[in-house]
Amino acid sequence: MAASVASALTGYTSGFSSDASGRSLTILGSLSQGNVLELLCYTYRCLQLTLSLFSSKCFIRCVCTHSAQASICDTPGAVLRARAKMSLFGTTSGFGSGGTSMFGSTTTDNHNPMKDIEVTSSPDDSIGCLSFSPPTLPGNFLIAGSWANDVRCWEVQDSGQTIPKAQQMHTGPVLDVCWSDDGSKVFTASCDKTAKMWDLNSNQAIQIAQHDAPVKTIHWIKAPNYSCVMTGSWDKTLKFWDTRSSNPMMVLQLPERCYCADVIYPMAVVATAERGLIVYQLENQPSEFRRIESPLKHQHRCVAIFKDKQNKPTGFALGSIEGRVAIHYINPPNPAKDNFTFKCHRSNGTNTSAPQDIYAVNGIAFHPVHGTLATVGSDGRFSFWDKDARTKLKTSEQLDQPISACCFNHNGNIFAYASSYDWSKACCFSYVPLSLNTTWSVGQKSWNRL
Amino acid sequence: MTICQFFLQGRCRFGDRCWNEHPGARGAGGGRQQQPSGSNRRGWNTTSQRYSNVIQPSSFSKPTPWGGSRDQEKPSFAAFDSGESASRNRGFGLSQNPFASPGSDDQKDDKKLLEGIVKDMEVWESSGQWMFSVYSPVKKKPNISGFTDISPEELRLEYHNFLTSNNLQSYRNSVQQLINQWRNRVNELKSLNTSTAIALDGVNQAAPSFGFGNRQTVTFGSPGFPVNNSSSNSAQNFSFKPSSGFATASSGSTPVFGNTPAFGAVPAASSAIAAATPTFGLRKPEITSAASFSFKTPAASGFGSSGFSGFSPSMAASPVGSPVAPAFGSGSSAAGFGSPGSQPHTAFSKSSSDTFGNSSVPASLSFSLGNTTTDNALFTPKDQLTAEELEQFQSKKFTLGKIPLKPPPVELLNI
Repeated sequence: MAASVASALTGYTSGFSSDASGRSLTILGSLSQGNVLELLCYTYRCLQLTLSLFSSKCFIRCVCTHSAQASICDTPGAVLRARAKMSLFGTTSGFGSGGTSMFGSTTTDNHNPMKDIEVTSSPDDSIGCLSFSPPTLPGNFLIAGSWANDVRCWEVQDSGQTIPKAQQMHTGPVLDVCWSDDGSKVFTASCDKTAKMWDLNSNQAIQIAQHDAPVKTIHWIKAPNYSCVMTGSWDKTLKFWDTRSSNPMMVLQLPERCYCADVIYPMAVVATAERGLIVYQLENQPSEFRRIESPLKHQHRCVAIFKDKQNKPTGFALGSIEGRVAIHYINPPNPAKDNFTFKCHRSNGTNTSAPQDIYAVNGIAFHPVHGTLATVGSDGRFSFWDKDARTKLKTSEQLDQPISACCFNHNGNIFAYASSYDWSKACCFSYVPLSLNTTWSVGQKSWNRL
Repeated sequence: MTICQFFLQGRCRFGDRCWNEHPGARGAGGGRQQQPSGSNRRGWNTTSQRYSNVIQPSSFSKPTPWGGSRDQEKPSFAAFDSGESASRNRGFGLSQNPFASPGSDDQKDDKKLLEGIVKDMEVWESSGQWMFSVYSPVKKKPNISGFTDISPEELRLEYHNFLTSNNLQSYRNSVQQLINQWRNRVNELKSLNTSTAIALDGVNQAAPSFGFGNRQTVTFGSPGFPVNNSSSNSAQNFSFKPSSGFATASSGSTPVFGNTPAFGAVPAASSAIAAATPTFGLRKPEITSAASFSFKTPAASGFGSSGFSGFSPSMAASPVGSPVAPAFGSGSSAAGFGSPGSQPHTAFSKSSSDTFGNSSVPASLSFSLGNTTTDNALFTPKDQLTAEELEQFQSKKFTLGKIPLKPPPVELLNI
């Protein structure tokens, strides 16, 4: 790899060193000021390049996506474009986000435009899921699962300060996390086809579930006569586990891979691939209640159940990759009138004549007290909506990365969202994610109803 | 009650909950949009389906207003609409014209639906939204074939797996191939004209549950197919095969034509199809997903051999069932097929939805065969066929221009 990069940097004298994995490269070269060192990037792996310039005292730490293979540079005359951006591990010194000025100038940094509190020592890779502790636990604890195979726990104080508390590892990226109702255990679902139960008091994690494919969703069900963990997986099954036994209590077949699910006793909703949508009722034992025609035209991405005024689950919000959320009631008095969809996370707002960019809705969360909903999308924004008045309440500024997950705490005072790459641009090879750094913010949000 | 001033201006925040009166709320919509409520449309749809010279799917269900009713389009909610983009509004708005006659109404619906599909494809392409997603033009319809669902997490997991095996190039290749397939399919759909669109419609109409089980146990690669596997290799690099039918979805269309060169047409080239109306109905199998093909192949092992390439598989896979039957009869007499046409449809969709999860295609086939009431409509007795038609049915492949308009006799069916 070193050799091919060297050949690409024609005209520069350079020396190379690479670390043991062959994945990082130090180029020592003399570059006249104003020359732009450009790196064309093809794949998505983060590579950290440190360039020391002879003539100037600046050094640029370039983070770019780079293949681990030498082949990336074998295009003749390949020009390598460096995107200087923040480092990998939590410090946020940003150099210009454009490629050209490499000497410490700061262009607008949309890293945290909302000026929310940033969580310290955030995970190293994209965050897939967030979950706040239930009200039974005093204080607020936040759990995040990431693609770096870890699950981290922070205590969030009332001042907004976050204190890292503990961490557990899986052998594959963690796709979903949830708390038990008493707040003593955390359940984590991972691509290593297992789910684990993490006892926070003893800081031990044991495996409680096994699937044939990555486990995408995990939820804790607390019924009067039973309690169990529900796991949905890409192996098209929904399994219910008593944490003490290695055999599932029940296995339900899904029509397709499980993409997202939500549980508020006694209702559970599972959205699958191929626009599948199933509602389960959980009394006595989980059983399929109804299969619903999807109100959306494209792939389902996230789902969240909402409750009515009597605090009973009455419907759900379903988000798709097409920048649209459907509000669906289970037994509405007037389905045609009560169920609706709305567009969100699009670049042009309601101006439908001009071509707009459409982003996926990555997460939906309902405020536990007010019943307003928050959506986060690949466009790097989060929005709050009132589904009863059918209005948009607020949209945030655009972050520099997609927002991949969100969560309210138990009383709705805190809204956490994770800003990290969600793979939404995987189809475009020319896309260069600015970095794979993940930062996420905890914003104190106090709510008024309008 | 006092009249609500905000409503008159078109910006009442409370909508139904408003304590003031909203004059003409139902159907006026504040005067902003011109769609009356969906109930108008419903009324028209209950009238009998008239088969004009365009093939109508026998039970064209009302296109439920996308995203719920338009009554809720209370003005001030700039962020909300009833879920329709302008194109879809147009599509359904026209169909709700209470003065349209029933027959032309259906036709217009189809046309609007087609336009809606085309518009959606354009938006999909230009908007940069996630490519690997299924798509369905209207809420109640099943997914259009040729698209598969891959979530970003799955793709990313694939990337990670390839990373560990240091084989990123093949990951990139696979993704590139998937992208190409998607792009081809989108272009195909964009270039639909009316006749093929009706085919698409009919296909999509027939089985709402189509999207649900069709790809689970698909056995592609039956010997009957001269399979064009070049494009199917892409998804096979991935450890997950979301639908083994998908890998074949785009290549699945070509086997049809490989087997029946009489059609001679490439899927996207509708010109050849438009030229010969009798082939119209038979083109449908190409539009259905390969999953339905794969269902066919166990059932109609003589796919290549008998002339029932269009027909017998259609019985196996209900989506193709009903529209094909009328297609065959369209030449003979539209009216004659009008009523029986509807029966096989329901029979099929019922049978296949029962057996869909099992993909026990022969079972559904035998069910429909045993259904004596529809036998006459489904098959022509041998004596009613001319010699030439009989010969066509018996030959391995149809010859373009000589494809019989009547359904094949039951005796020649090869199950």
